Amino acid sequence: MHISKLTLVNYRNFKNTTLRFHKGVNTIIGENGSGKSNILRAIRLLLDDTMVRAAYRLEESDFSRSLGQWQGHWIIISMEFEEISTDESVQALFLHGTATLADTLLRKATYNLIFRPKKEIRLKLAALDIFDEDKLAEIRSAITIDDYETIFTGRSNADFSAPAVYESIVGDFESCVFKSETEFPEIGAKVPGFLSVTKEVSLTFIQALRDVVAEFHNNRTNPLLTLLKSKSGEINPETMQPITQMVRDLNTSIENLEDVQSVRNHIRETIKDAAGETYSPASLSIKSDLPEEAEKLFQSLRLFVGESEEGYEGAIHELSLGGANLIYLTLKLLEFKYQREKLSIANFLLIEEPEAHIHTHIQKTLFDRIAYSDAQIIYTTHSTHISEVSNVNNVNILGRHGSFCEAYQPATGLEPSQVTSIQRYLDAVRSNLLFAKSVILVEGDVEEILIPVLVKKVLGLSVDELGISVINIRSTGFKNVAVLFHDLRIRKRCAIVTDLDQAFFDITPLPTDAPPTVAKKVKAAGSQKSGLERKAELDVFVAENPWLATFYAKHTFEVDFVAGGNHEAVVKTVPKVYKDAATIEESIKALQSGQLARMGGRTLTMAQKEGKGWFAILLADQLTPQVQIPTYIQQAIHFAHGPFSRPLLSRILQHRVECRFSSNCSAAPLHAAFRLELERFQREEISLQTLKAAVAFMLQGTSSMRSWRRWRDVHLGSAGS
Amino acid sequence: MFTWDPRDLNCEQAAAVVEPSSIFLIACPGSGKTRTLTYKIAYELSRRADKRIVVAITYTRRAADEIQERIEDLGVDTSGLWIGTIHSFCLEWIIKPYGIYCPVLAHGYCVIDTHDRELMLERLCAPYRSVTHWDCDYYVSETGYYLGCQDTRKHDAIHKVLAAYFEELSASRQIDFELILWHAHTLMRDQAHIAVLLSRVFSHVLVDEYQDTKQIQYSLLLTILRAGRGQTKTFIVGDPNQAIYGSLGGYAIPVADFRAQAGIPIKEMALSRNYRSSKRIISYFSNFNVHATSIKSAGEHAVFPSLVTYNKDVAHTDVHDELVRLIQVSLAAGNTPQNICVLAPWWILLASTTRKLVAMLPDQQFDGPGLVPFSNDSDNFWFKLSKILLTESSPRLLVRRMRWANDVIKDLGDFGVDTTRLTQRKLLRECNALSIDETDGLRYLDQAFTDLFEQLSLSPENFPPLAAHREAFFNSSASRIERLQKAGASYINQVSFFKKVFRERTGITVSTIHGVKGAEFDVVIAFGLLEGMVPHFNEADGHVAASKLLYVLSSRARKHLHLISETGRSRGRYGVYTPTESLAACHFIYNSD
Repeated sequence: MHISKLTLVNYRNFKNTTLRFHKGVNTIIGENGSGKSNILRAIRLLLDDTMVRAAYRLEESDFSRSLGQWQGHWIIISMEFEEISTDESVQALFLHGTATLADTLLRKATYNLIFRPKKEIRLKLAALDIFDEDKLAEIRSAITIDDYETIFTGRSNADFSAPAVYESIVGDFESCVFKSETEFPEIGAKVPGFLSVTKEVSLTFIQALRDVVAEFHNNRTNPLLTLLKSKSGEINPETMQPITQMVRDLNTSIENLEDVQSVRNHIRETIKDAAGETYSPASLSIKSDLPEEAEKLFQSLRLFVGESEEGYEGAIHELSLGGANLIYLTLKLLEFKYQREKLSIANFLLIEEPEAHIHTHIQKTLFDRIAYSDAQIIYTTHSTHISEVSNVNNVNILGRHGSFCEAYQPATGLEPSQVTSIQRYLDAVRSNLLFAKSVILVEGDVEEILIPVLVKKVLGLSVDELGISVINIRSTGFKNVAVLFHDLRIRKRCAIVTDLDQAFFDITPLPTDAPPTVAKKVKAAGSQKSGLERKAELDVFVAENPWLATFYAKHTFEVDFVAGGNHEAVVKTVPKVYKDAATIEESIKALQSGQLARMGGRTLTMAQKEGKGWFAILLADQLTPQVQIPTYIQQAIHFAHGPFSRPLLSRILQHRVECRFSSNCSAAPLHAAFRLELERFQREEISLQTLKAAVAFMLQGTSSMRSWRRWRDVHLGSAGS
Repeated sequence: MFTWDPRDLNCEQAAAVVEPSSIFLIACPGSGKTRTLTYKIAYELSRRADKRIVVAITYTRRAADEIQERIEDLGVDTSGLWIGTIHSFCLEWIIKPYGIYCPVLAHGYCVIDTHDRELMLERLCAPYRSVTHWDCDYYVSETGYYLGCQDTRKHDAIHKVLAAYFEELSASRQIDFELILWHAHTLMRDQAHIAVLLSRVFSHVLVDEYQDTKQIQYSLLLTILRAGRGQTKTFIVGDPNQAIYGSLGGYAIPVADFRAQAGIPIKEMALSRNYRSSKRIISYFSNFNVHATSIKSAGEHAVFPSLVTYNKDVAHTDVHDELVRLIQVSLAAGNTPQNICVLAPWWILLASTTRKLVAMLPDQQFDGPGLVPFSNDSDNFWFKLSKILLTESSPRLLVRRMRWANDVIKDLGDFGVDTTRLTQRKLLRECNALSIDETDGLRYLDQAFTDLFEQLSLSPENFPPLAAHREAFFNSSASRIERLQKAGASYINQVSFFKKVFRERTGITVSTIHGVKGAEFDVVIAFGLLEGMVPHFNEADGHVAASKLLYVLSSRARKHLHLISETGRSRGRYGVYTPTESLAACHFIYNSD
């Protein structure tokens, strides 16, 4: 049996999201703050025996903040199980409480935690008339967390992830529409008292640890002690008896040591001398206190580990951090193994950020080997290294979506062959594709190298800061990867940037063409044709998918780049490409000719000579903040990133201002004046429109302080001066 | 492994306990039926190797409690045991977990309080002159419902009353006990998976007093056994001679029918050794043996010189004097009060009798289910709580009170109260710590409920079902007290009297014949043995019904049996009652007084 689905409604940072799991190892990938720990906590609320109390004590803060007013809403954590074998009697009770009878083979079960207003409140809501918002507001404002109850239900058939289903059960708070019912069969039947799901399953949770050594020192959390404890209970008293006897003998021998006795005598004498016979204690002895019970004796056992080959075994605190983590994880896994030996109907191992425990090298081996056939393992990570090990079918990606987070399953609805190619791709490039907030797919090294540099130079921000990953597909096979971005799968924006390969010179065959020219023209014509075909195909592919868009270089990146007013940057690379003075001169001439065919031709020739990637690196060194980003790339960035926030815009403008003025002392007053305007924009005192006009004015080469003041008086009034 | 002293069980009993296959066990009176059932459950629980549940279905909740207590006394872990009545079985195992599949129950339901039910029927009967709520007993079978009332002239009116009753119940989403069975049946019928799942959950289903089981109940049980294909074992025990609930649909299914419908091998066994009664008593009640079961006398009283008397001369006006005389003779002969029992067929005969006996024998205490001064709806939460509040903490009662506390906490949990921090001990401690200065029983309880909830920082008004239960409890109790006080029991509202209810039985038992099922006494005194009462005038086959009643009441006695058919009791327009014909026809050499 394994968890196949987890739906969270209004729980913490999840408004309504569904994760899917499979047998074996499952990965939850997400950036910091995307709710990875909350997912594990939700699972534990339902399945971890130590969390039962917490499940009955959900708090206001457990409601998703995106709800606004939480009063009246429900929190639902719904779990679906699959592959339940009906033969085993151990599962009979579980099925009796949770199996959905709709499945004729009884192989599905659901188990839900529902945190809802008590019946009394539900009755009040049910009695409301439609649109009676005042009454609704009155009821809601009186609701406190004490008016809520936690129930566990099984065999629900409602798809809680569908907002319409939620509304039909809980009600529509917007329009004040509530059903007259207060009990809903869709949410399932309360789990019978005879069934304690947390006792039927075994679950081990391995927390992300920052300080393993401290865990080892704490008797409550020391995993070694937990293991020993579970064993010490099983010790046959007869086996223990001789040990106990030895401990007693040992205690007696220690107590009878001559030195111990003499210390005792000295104490007595000193007391008598100091306090006198009357006030001295009647008796006094020194006792050796080695424990005799198995459990306490076991507590004195410590783990020693030899890390290097010198033969020295050290205590935990002497180990390297990585070593200690490895030992910790090992012991927890052993604990899990012991747990599995109990008669439980399913075994779950939850690991929070294994990268916090172990070195990347070990991770891969670990997750390859950890796959116990009867256990489901769910771990969260923000390490690309681990995600590379995991099967893309078994991955859930958490993404931030404004004020709440959502989970995506990258392989939903894909053909096995598509999944395989994505899997291979992910394995090969260790891509951070799955982590990105948004993605720009490019076809080669040049774009991969230059787009981040262009963005950094022009906007003053790195692509990482913008949350954009530039991913090099190394071909034009975009569809294999772009298929991931879809309403059903990863709901993040992905811009596809590619070349149309339109010829940038005249390809009309002329009778006078020499054979090389003929070949060149034929080749260019071929590229142009396949470029158009590619475009047609891609356009169909992205149509009606809001998460995908294509952006085309008219010709190729290099040609469009140089044609976009960047020829001087290319010119600066010429001496690095060519040594021959004549060639250098000719190249510069061509680049400065203003004729597309010559500029483009020369740039491509240089790129070919250096190798495209190396040429891009050369070029990158020559770029200044004044470089022009080709329009199609600008558009791609805009699409991927979405609207720029005010703070982000401020930072970009700040950067532009610095570029413009910082080297120019005479412009200092203007510089300061502009910064003032920028601050006003940040404080939301002026609109972007106004700021734009101010920028446009200032960036005119002719602007002086005086002309600025005049402009300002006209356009902004004197309020800010 | 659970083992027992060989002296605890005879070989018939032990054979039934260790028998690995399913069993159909016919047990004659006094043969240690309950003991055998108890040991069987304990034995199977102790052998339990998986998480499957042992289910035992008893006729009353009281019997369930007693058996559970006995098993706990035997030192066997009862966490794998579910024991209760067929109605709670249907609620717990079928309706609660699967009710969402039944359109009538899917949006919530509640079980109507017995008192409310009575009031509702009374109201609905009002337009029909000849019909009272007593006539409205009905029972369900797989095909529909049947009336308990044998007087066919009333049937039209009763059907109309019931039609209105069902409508009202369904409108208010309430179900009564029969509807519990009906819905459980339809759920099992329409959702074949339920029986399959249940058969996997249950290792054993044991049924006590099968002879009073109804067809629809057999059907529920058989469906599970069939689905289990032998994986779920059964243990059916009872005595066909003691089937006295025929008017409510109960009957003793023949073993061959049961086996054929269950489709599993079932071994037929018998307990034929009566340990209870003297040979003379046995030879007397054997006259009413309609199923030819074999009964051997085996007890310590076997050779006791029993008195079996039959008085058909005493006038109904003198019957109390005669009862008092017999009680006094018995007491003088050294019989303890709790070993004396006064029986009559109908409660109305007992009401005035009890009152008079209480007056005439002021030194004696009397005990009977009819003397409980408050609502005895054992499903009512506040009734359960009052059991704790009206008993003192004592080592003897600890186990029982712990179980009651457990029931109360479980109920609170079902009502949605957060009980994670409420333990049985804590609840008992808080109950014991209450100090209430109030002599009126109901006011005492009301105050105790309020104080306790305050101590536990709970507000019952936050949980509407709790409030509803409270209202039902007090309304029903008040009307019961009023009725008892009208009948002359003026003391009945005193808290001291309330507290007697849950004490160990100390006084002379006063009960209906149906009410002493399973009990035994040294001396049994029965009156009202009149044709029309024994058998009930409604009974279709009067002779058989009368025989079974006489069989049951006679077999309660260990040593002495005194039967009375008083003369001159008025039967309205039918003149006066005459002695029970089956009794009169019985040839037996009675002792003379």
